[in-house]
Amino acid sequence: MKYSQKFGLLLLLSLILAFSMAGCSNESDADSENSDEQVEIKLGYYSSGSADEKMEELIDQFEEKHPNIKVTTQNAPYSQFFQKLDTQIAGNNAPDVWLSDGVLVSKYAERGAAKDVTGWIERDLNKDEYYGLDFNKDASGKYFAVPQGIQIGALFYNKDMFDEAGVDYPDDTWTWDQLQETAAQLTIDANGKRATDDGFNSEAVNQYGMTFFNITEGWMPVLKSFGGGVLDEELKNSVIDSEENKKAMEWIVDGMQKGVLTDPSDLQSFQSPMSPFPSGTAAMRIGIYARVLAANETGINYDVTVLPKGPDGKRFAPVIANSWIVNNNSSDEKAEAAWEWVKFWVTEDEVQKEWAELGEAVPVKKSVANSDLFLNSGDNTINKQAFLDSFEFAGTLDTNAVWSEWLQKFNDNINRAFLNETSIEEALQQADKEVKKVLDDFYKE
Amino acid sequence: MPKLVDRVKPLKNRKRKKLSAEGRWGFLMVSPYLIQFVVFLSFPLAASLYFSFSKYDMLNAPKWIGVENYTTLIQDPVFHKALWNTFYFTILFVPAQTILALVLAVALNQSLKGLKFFRIAHFIPVICSWTVVLYVADAILNPRFGLANTILVKLGNNPQPWLSDEALIIPVLVAVAVWKGVGYMMIIFLAGLQNVPEDLYEAAEIEGAGVWKKFRHVTVPLISGTTFLVLVLTTITTFQSFEQIYVMTSHLGDVTSAGGPNNASMVLMLYLFQQGFSFLKMGYASAIAWVLFIILFGITMIQLKLQKKWVYYEK
Repeated sequence: MKYSQKFGLLLLLSLILAFSMAGCSNESDADSENSDEQVEIKLGYYSSGSADEKMEELIDQFEEKHPNIKVTTQNAPYSQFFQKLDTQIAGNNAPDVWLSDGVLVSKYAERGAAKDVTGWIERDLNKDEYYGLDFNKDASGKYFAVPQGIQIGALFYNKDMFDEAGVDYPDDTWTWDQLQETAAQLTIDANGKRATDDGFNSEAVNQYGMTFFNITEGWMPVLKSFGGGVLDEELKNSVIDSEENKKAMEWIVDGMQKGVLTDPSDLQSFQSPMSPFPSGTAAMRIGIYARVLAANETGINYDVTVLPKGPDGKRFAPVIANSWIVNNNSSDEKAEAAWEWVKFWVTEDEVQKEWAELGEAVPVKKSVANSDLFLNSGDNTINKQAFLDSFEFAGTLDTNAVWSEWLQKFNDNINRAFLNETSIEEALQQADKEVKKVLDDFYKE
Repeated sequence: MPKLVDRVKPLKNRKRKKLSAEGRWGFLMVSPYLIQFVVFLSFPLAASLYFSFSKYDMLNAPKWIGVENYTTLIQDPVFHKALWNTFYFTILFVPAQTILALVLAVALNQSLKGLKFFRIAHFIPVICSWTVVLYVADAILNPRFGLANTILVKLGNNPQPWLSDEALIIPVLVAVAVWKGVGYMMIIFLAGLQNVPEDLYEAAEIEGAGVWKKFRHVTVPLISGTTFLVLVLTTITTFQSFEQIYVMTSHLGDVTSAGGPNNASMVLMLYLFQQGFSFLKMGYASAIAWVLFIILFGITMIQLKLQKKWVYYEK
């Protein structure tokens, strides 16, 4: 008799489950039936403070222009947003179009979650009019995302500190060696001695020549302009263990040992690894465009120029093109509507202008980026042209499907070299071995 | 024989009906829990067991690969490190927190004025979020401006990189975790202490027992049930500790560095999270979860077995 009760219970539970599932599918059936006239799309984006309000406004404008498309939104702070998104993709209820961090586009593209939008781009966009489209192109020439706003790296410098030390401001003729020589003159210890003086104490630095952190605003631009890097052209093999990388690493470690560049443990003293420059504790930084906001907020007297050249004259500006991705699992109708939103975003001057006013990213549309609105906006008129000039030698951070994973392995190893716990050769060899394993696990089935 | 059975049957049937009516009500009453259990617990549990034998990146359907995840796990140096760190953390944390909680509870179990204030004060860290604790900890542990190094330097020692030294990181994290968690266990001990009958102490006093002897021979045996509960709870939560390490070692915002420096603070839960959610290796992460489950199950079993030797229950 107990069995029959258990059986009954099981039946009851499966019925409840079945009904709830039926409930779900009924809902979506109803959706697609109504959609002859009205398409409802879900748009996902990660929050970034004041930008949320503007995003809502732009969505309203979009709905006005496209009365047949209704947009529902889903937003959350950065890390929650992506966690939820991955789960939703697994459950097949992800947004129809979402904003992806530029470094994560390949993660979705190579795993089949992002729709191939090559055809639509060819049809609707004149590629020459936009910055950064190619940063989302895969090796076979397909596009999987369209930039929403672009972050590109340049050299930020604190003019007051340069004036005080009596040295010339950096310009486009600088090499990395020149940068480090100048940085030494701008580094001051607790006793007021500069790194170029006798008796300078590199263990107690009060003002750093340059702050240096992680990949984008740290080692990647140096490695690349020295001719090195992490992955080959195909982005599937490691090229870590190279002479060029060794030279670049020597440049970095040398600067850290002298106390001219911040090493990973120096940064522990700060509220955030981003804060030395805006707080006036470092004379220079490699910074993406968004760093302008923090620097303006603290009111330091600064400017920007292009990043220095490597020993052979090579330059590299790191790029993160945060982009719109259309869901590969959305129905054709919803995907088309989602594309309308993407098109609206990049082609409409008004949208581009309003977004540019927030000052969070370089506008995607070249005409807007090169207008006064972008170049001369705000109270603090810095040389924003430097960011645009940098597009000529810009590149991604060797982003592929397993970017975060190889990055962690790479960082673990080179940080040990930065802290002098291992030699540069050993760090690079070990990093090479570990990164290779990550790549092979994913690409060589 | 068959005849007899036939004759009994109607009676049995009636009884059965009665019972099942009652049973139905019973099941109806527990159904919210049961449904919750099936939908949110047993189904995910079974799914994760299946995932642990497959390659699953969440974005595509899982692919069965047999025991490969487990064999990779056995050879994975980071997993070894995480396993060791988890044990190391637990071995330092569980005794430290339990003893300190007991000492605090005994001290705060007196009938003096103002004790409520101290009870509350010790409980405040429990209700703070780890992000808040991080800022408090930074005021002490900041390598340049923190209290700890300021004192060290004043005493003529070298400042220590508390959170970026591979050897220091786990003990430092344990110290902060004890500070944050001790209040909760203290409350449980306080509840246990208040159940110890006062006359037992009086009897012990008449026998000539001092403070220590009263504690050792009256308090300790009588709260052994509470101590056991505290030990089991602390061990399980320690093995699953995640948030603290995630928040305190992710280098103030750089999440990829969580578990650092150089994996010196990588624990099982953090490794699981990273593999599953940051690197989309959900199959591998599920395998880690099952290994963690087996370890926890084993330890709890051992604790249950051992309790017979030292836990005293009032009949």
